[in-house]
Amino acid sequence: MSAISEEEVRPRLFAFRSFRSRLIVFLLLLLLPAFAGIFYYVNRNNTDYTEETINTYLELGADVFDFVREQQAYTLQAIINSLTWDFGFRTAYAANDPATLFDAALNVLDRSLGSADMLLIADLDNQVIIDTELQGAERLQGTWLALIERADQSEDGSAEMIASIAARPFQLIALPLYLPRQVAWIVGGFALDQEFVDQVAETTVSDVSIVASEAGRVSEVIASTLSASNQVALSAQLNVGASAINTLQLIRYADEEFTTLLRSLYEDPGSSLQVFAVIQRSYDENNENVVQFRNLLIEFYGIILVLSLVAVIFLARSITNPVSRLAHAVKRIEDGDYAMRAQVQSRDELGALAESVNSMAKGLAEKEKVRDLLGKVVSQQIAEELLNNPVELGGEERTATILFSDIRGFTSYCEGKSPQKVLEELNKVLSRISDIIEAHQGVVDKYQGDAVMALFGAPVAGERDTDNAMAAALEIIAALDAMDSQLAACVGVNTGLVVAGNLGSANRLNYSVIGDTVNLAARLESLTRYYNVNNIVSEASMQAAPDYVYRELDEVQVAGKSESVKIFELIGQRSRVSQSMLDEITAFESALHKYRQQRWEEARQEFTALGSTCENKSLVQVFLDRMKDFESDPPDAQWCGVFSFGKK
Amino acid sequence: MPMMLVSLISHAQNLEVTITDQEGMPLENAVIELLLDEGERTSYMQPTNSSIDQLDKEFVPTVTVISAGSDVSFPNSDDILHHVYSFSQPKTFNIPLYGRGENDDYHENFPSAGVVEIGCNIHDWMLAYIYVAESELASLSDTEGVAILSSTLSGDYQLRVWHPQASEEELVYPVSLSPDQTTTLAISLELQRDRRVRRAPGSSGRRYR
Repeated sequence: MSAISEEEVRPRLFAFRSFRSRLIVFLLLLLLPAFAGIFYYVNRNNTDYTEETINTYLELGADVFDFVREQQAYTLQAIINSLTWDFGFRTAYAANDPATLFDAALNVLDRSLGSADMLLIADLDNQVIIDTELQGAERLQGTWLALIERADQSEDGSAEMIASIAARPFQLIALPLYLPRQVAWIVGGFALDQEFVDQVAETTVSDVSIVASEAGRVSEVIASTLSASNQVALSAQLNVGASAINTLQLIRYADEEFTTLLRSLYEDPGSSLQVFAVIQRSYDENNENVVQFRNLLIEFYGIILVLSLVAVIFLARSITNPVSRLAHAVKRIEDGDYAMRAQVQSRDELGALAESVNSMAKGLAEKEKVRDLLGKVVSQQIAEELLNNPVELGGEERTATILFSDIRGFTSYCEGKSPQKVLEELNKVLSRISDIIEAHQGVVDKYQGDAVMALFGAPVAGERDTDNAMAAALEIIAALDAMDSQLAACVGVNTGLVVAGNLGSANRLNYSVIGDTVNLAARLESLTRYYNVNNIVSEASMQAAPDYVYRELDEVQVAGKSESVKIFELIGQRSRVSQSMLDEITAFESALHKYRQQRWEEARQEFTALGSTCENKSLVQVFLDRMKDFESDPPDAQWCGVFSFGKK
Repeated sequence: MPMMLVSLISHAQNLEVTITDQEGMPLENAVIELLLDEGERTSYMQPTNSSIDQLDKEFVPTVTVISAGSDVSFPNSDDILHHVYSFSQPKTFNIPLYGRGENDDYHENFPSAGVVEIGCNIHDWMLAYIYVAESELASLSDTEGVAILSSTLSGDYQLRVWHPQASEEELVYPVSLSPDQTTTLAISLELQRDRRVRRAPGSSGRRYR
């Protein structure tokens, strides 16, 4: 009980209504953390790998940017170098005609296949002779002068730089013009423009842009392989601060995220103008394989989960279905349907359990059959005693109240009736008597002709066994009175030690009680005719059931017994007995008292007086007759009122 | 051949200039020219014939001093063709491709004074200078850095000094000459780094010989 109440009090986290839910939850608890763990590690590694790859690609992109620029610069250098060898160009230079030289320069640009976009020639005094970009300066200055100075100081007289011409970045190379001694500087350049970024992008498979910034903010996207809208986003988001150079940053466009690497190309010494190369790679595009793998993993998980769930449901059904059938069968068996059999075919533990349940049902059916039969042969309580306790010979000594009941007048009642009818009537009466006995927790021990022997307090002792016996006696007497005027019950009741147990042989047993108590009860029943009363109870019984009113009848010594017993007539329940009856009992006991003192005269007078008023005149007559005998043959001096019955 | 001339008339020598570079090393191929008035000049205007050979893809000699109005021939001693040109102001000319012995008799005349830079259009590194002096009174320093002028002139004159690498274009020094005494002069020149076109690799090999 305590365990159950604890169960009820303790809050339960999971109260599973079905075995299937329990299995599913168990499966999920097992699978989901495993899935999550694998997913986390795989995803993290893949993401790391993607980022690493992007970084590598971007570094590579920047390297390619520089490489392409260097290659093109090299080509440019070769073109200008060749130009200084060109005798026509030398002649044109020597002709000292800038217009001719300008045309010659344009020819060179045309023939350079895009490797050269501009040419500038300045003499050794830094006077600009021609400039295809028409910047208008007469003398070289600023970064241009710096370029020439660097070239002048270099071993081979060349120098290169990136400079801004009309806010567009140019890769410039300065070389000396020999005639055959150096007479001038030729500066060639190509624009880092759309064509250039397209070329770089083609090799790097990254997006390439060139942006200009002023005062730390992107002022212009000079060239870019990005779409127009993405260029706007790039302008807005690109960090061009000093700390951002050569580091990675993320730029989010409408639908894509780009990892971005920033390289400085040019810084104007006179203003805040800066030009940057921007290499970008779509994060999403690079992550495509990872996303694909991730989706594949999720799909795989899904399939595993579905398969597992199906398997679990099948497993659960393979267990719950037989269990349900078993439970149903057991419930039916519990309700008494012992013919019910659990239909479980499996050969596993459940199959074994079903087999056991079926054998149990079979066993119960047989037991019930036995109990039913036993209940018909012996009384219900004896049947229970036999079924529940080991059946063995021998018995125990215990106190019990024995009731003998006989039917007076049955022989005359049966006169003229067929044997079947007689048996039918007898069974009817005996059934009635048996019912009454059982109704008062008595046990019918046996039938003997029209007599019934009943036990109260055996095989099961109760607290009010004798009271029950008294109540049963009164009811049997009343029942037979009510049944037929010809029939009357005579009952003997005695209480005392009996030997109770199974009597008979090992193969055939009979639960019963034996002993003097039983014999006396039978004797008391047979004495009822003598005293013309419907019942006689022993003094032991009377004392055991004090709630009833008794009339003391006599003190007798029955055959085969040396001790005398006082015998009483059960009148009724104390509350139901009338005053006149009580008076009569008092008067009778008074007369009896005088009889026992051999005060014959007084006793005769009182008995005679009683005889005129009481109902049971025969009883009074017994004593009047006895005293008449004593007058002729007086008892000895020790006689104290005991009447001896010599015969059984 | 003015140098030979000077050495022959050794008794007439009256100016000896020692030229060194900024580090004090003797400077070869420096030119000294005594600047004369136009009137004085006429008696020192004998034109000469000089020759600048092309040997192993180099001009030999590197510096040639002539007086205005002299001729210079440019024979080719190589087995390969050369294309000699000058875009210099005093004399612009151009002798298109020619081979060994082809132009041995051809002369270019240099009527104006000044420095003429001679190049080859095929071999960019080939470079020679012709110093066209106003008169014969010009001389070239030898490997000791010594240049000698012999004249009968006396009095105060201006001496121009030139070297291909001299950082100053016009270097003029005053000198006092006497007929029977040798005036000596020591001049230190500041030289620029000589940036010139490098000889093409393998060009000294024998493939085109």
